[in-house]
Formats: sequence, structure tokens, C-alpha cells
Amino acid sequence: MLGLALLSMIMMLADSRFSYLSQVRFYASYLVTPLHWLADSPRSISDSVNSNLQSRSYLIGENQRLKQQLLQQQFELQKLEHLKAENIRLNELLNASSIVDERVVQAQLTGESPDPFTKRVLINKGSVHDVYIGQPVIDAFGLMGQIVDVEPYASWVLLITDPQHSTPIQINRNGNRAIASGTQDSLQRLVLNNISDTFDVVVGDVLVTSGFGGRFPAGYPVGVVSNVLHDPGEPFATVTVEPTAQLERSRNVLLLFK
Amino acid sequence: MGAKFNKHHGGWIILGTLVLAALFTVLPLPDWLEAYRPEWVALVVIYWVVALPDRIGLFSAWITGFFMDVLEGSLLGLNALALALVAYLALSLYQRMRMFTAIQQSSTILILAGIHQLLSFWVLTANSQNTAPNLIFMISALSSAIIWPFVFLALRYIRRTFNVA
Repeated sequence: MLGLALLSMIMMLADSRFSYLSQVRFYASYLVTPLHWLADSPRSISDSVNSNLQSRSYLIGENQRLKQQLLQQQFELQKLEHLKAENIRLNELLNASSIVDERVVQAQLTGESPDPFTKRVLINKGSVHDVYIGQPVIDAFGLMGQIVDVEPYASWVLLITDPQHSTPIQINRNGNRAIASGTQDSLQRLVLNNISDTFDVVVGDVLVTSGFGGRFPAGYPVGVVSNVLHDPGEPFATVTVEPTAQLERSRNVLLLFK
Repeated sequence: MGAKFNKHHGGWIILGTLVLAALFTVLPLPDWLEAYRPEWVALVVIYWVVALPDRIGLFSAWITGFFMDVLEGSLLGLNALALALVAYLALSLYQRMRMFTAIQQSSTILILAGIHQLLSFWVLTANSQNTAPNLIFMISALSSAIIWPFVFLALRYIRRTFNVA
């Protein structure tokens, strides 16, 4: 028992402070990844059954709706192309480095960490798909998190609402910068750290990634300010943020490649 | 080797129950139910330790825990340590456990699963992955104790049907 306890402790230390054991985990995960697929199979089967058993009228309706949506978005995209070109020109005038276009790869959620105190999800792309640690993950609505662990056919995503995660953000309205972190008491929301009472932030402000730290590219929506509390007894204001990404519901996510 | 092989059989059954327990551990649950998830793997390990103490012991528990760590993406060695400790305690209790009534067994499970949870909690706190200020993490020990009689009956049925020894 003592020997095993000692071995476990050494392993935990090595795993948390150094990266010696990432190879061990990598190869051991070949054995356990099928379990995740199996655990996810009821959902994927019901998904495929659902999509195979839709009624014709429903499909026609959905098709029409999607076509309309596509038209609308293509129209907006036209303006965006123009704005992008203009933005690049202006950036060139300012001698700023041009913004690189990001490539995205679609992935699907296949699992969630059983630990109720963390916010980690598993996606079905791994090192064979060139996923790397620190890679940003977004969904259709905003930033979801980043890759913290890569296995051959799966990887773990740390969500932005995890208490251990912090995201450098910027307020879209005025460009003020801050850091948004997850909190332990609510795994659904973010708070802004060390916000002085004079900081210009109001309810409804949209927060986007600031690009600081070099981890997340700038400009992706992170959340909307839902509550600002100025307590005279506290040194800082409490600013609560609702994430824009559908962290609890999104099944399809996008991996950003630089 | 031959004699040993005759004495022990049904290893695949034991492995199968452990894999099933691991599957139950990672099965997606709604968020509010997540904290109530019983410690499936710990329960199955305890059962096999109590039923076959000469066969399933510390080392098997540790290996199981190691793969659980990989499966859950948690700190490598965390589940291994906790499960080895639980197996160690079960190993010292197995003679009494066999004589216990269902209620007594369940209360023992409550304590064993509680120790399992507490140890994980301590390690996570020491590693500053966890600062939850409440005792909600203990609920799964309670649900493990409640579900234990059913797990026990199911596993005993499996053991007798497949003659695992």
C-alpha cells in the first residue's frame, strides 16, 4: 500500500508540475477512448435516428428556413468582405501587422468530465487530426475554451467557465481591457477580475477576446455583461458575465488553426 | 501456470464488470445530477475485493484507478491512489463485510466511498484545482451506499452464474 501510495503521489506530482507523463497518458488513452465512444453512442444513435426519421414537410420547412438564413448571412458577408479589406488597408496605414485569417475544423462533443467541480469536455478530434495543446475552441456563438490535453483520437477542452480558466477580454464598446475568469460557485458564468469602481462597464456590454497573451486570437465574442455590482465595502466591483457560446448545449464546435 | 489457470477463472468477467462501471462513470448526465453519480468503479472494486480477496487486491485496484485517470482526464495517479486505498481498507474488512447485513454493508460502503471522495478532494485542493467551499462532493458517497445492495446482488448473480473464482 505504501509503495503504491508513494508511486501515485510521485505520478501526481510529475503530472501536475512536469510533462513526463503525457506520453504515458497518450498511449494509455488508446485503450480507453473506445469507452468514450461507447458512452456517447446513445446520443449519436438517437441523433442519426432522428435525422433519418424526419417527416418530409418538416425537412422542406427546415430547408426553406436554412436557405433564407443563408441568403441573409451571405448578404452580411458581402459587407464583411468589404470591411475586412478596408480594415487591412487601415492597419497597413498604421503599420500594424495584418490580421491572419484563421482556419477552422469542425469537431463534435463526445463527453464531459464526470467531476462536478470542473468544466471540461471531450471532443472527437485528437493528435491524428493535428490538434495541439492551447488551441482555441469556439462554437457558432463565441469562444468556448481551449485544448488542455490531446489524445490520439480525442482531446479535452477546458471551458472558459472553469474556475481555473481566465480569458483576456476587451469591451467591444470602448476597448477597455480586463480578464474574465470562471468561478467556483457558479460554473455557468464568468466574473471580471479586479475591476475598479470607475471602470467603464455597464450591463449589456459585449466582451470579445483581446488577443493578449497570444492564446486566443482577438475579436471572438466571449460574453455579455449581465450584472455590475458596486459594493462600497469591497475594493473592486463585481462584474458578472454570461458567456455567449452555448457551453451547455453546443454539440458541434470549431477548432481554430492559425 | 496450468494449476493456477485452473484455480482462477472468469477473469474476463471481472474485467467486463469494471469496464461497465467505467462506462457508467463517464455516461453523460445532466448537470444537476452529476454530483449524485455513485462511485461505480469503487463499488465494483470493493465487491471483487470482498468476494475474491486472494485475486483482486491493491494492485488490480491501482491499475483500474490508473485507467480511470486516463478516462476522466484527471490528474494521473489520483484515482489510482484513492482506489488502492479503498481496496486496502476493503481487504482488511472483507471477513466482516461477508457477515454484515445489507444495512451494515451499506454503512461501510458509505464510509469507504466517503474516504475515496475525501482523498480525491484533498488532492485536488492541494493541487489548487478545487476550492469548493461545501460538502456537496460527499453526496456521491451517499448515493453509492444507497445503490450498493443492488450492485451487490447483481455482481453476486454474475459471479455465481459465470462461476468466477
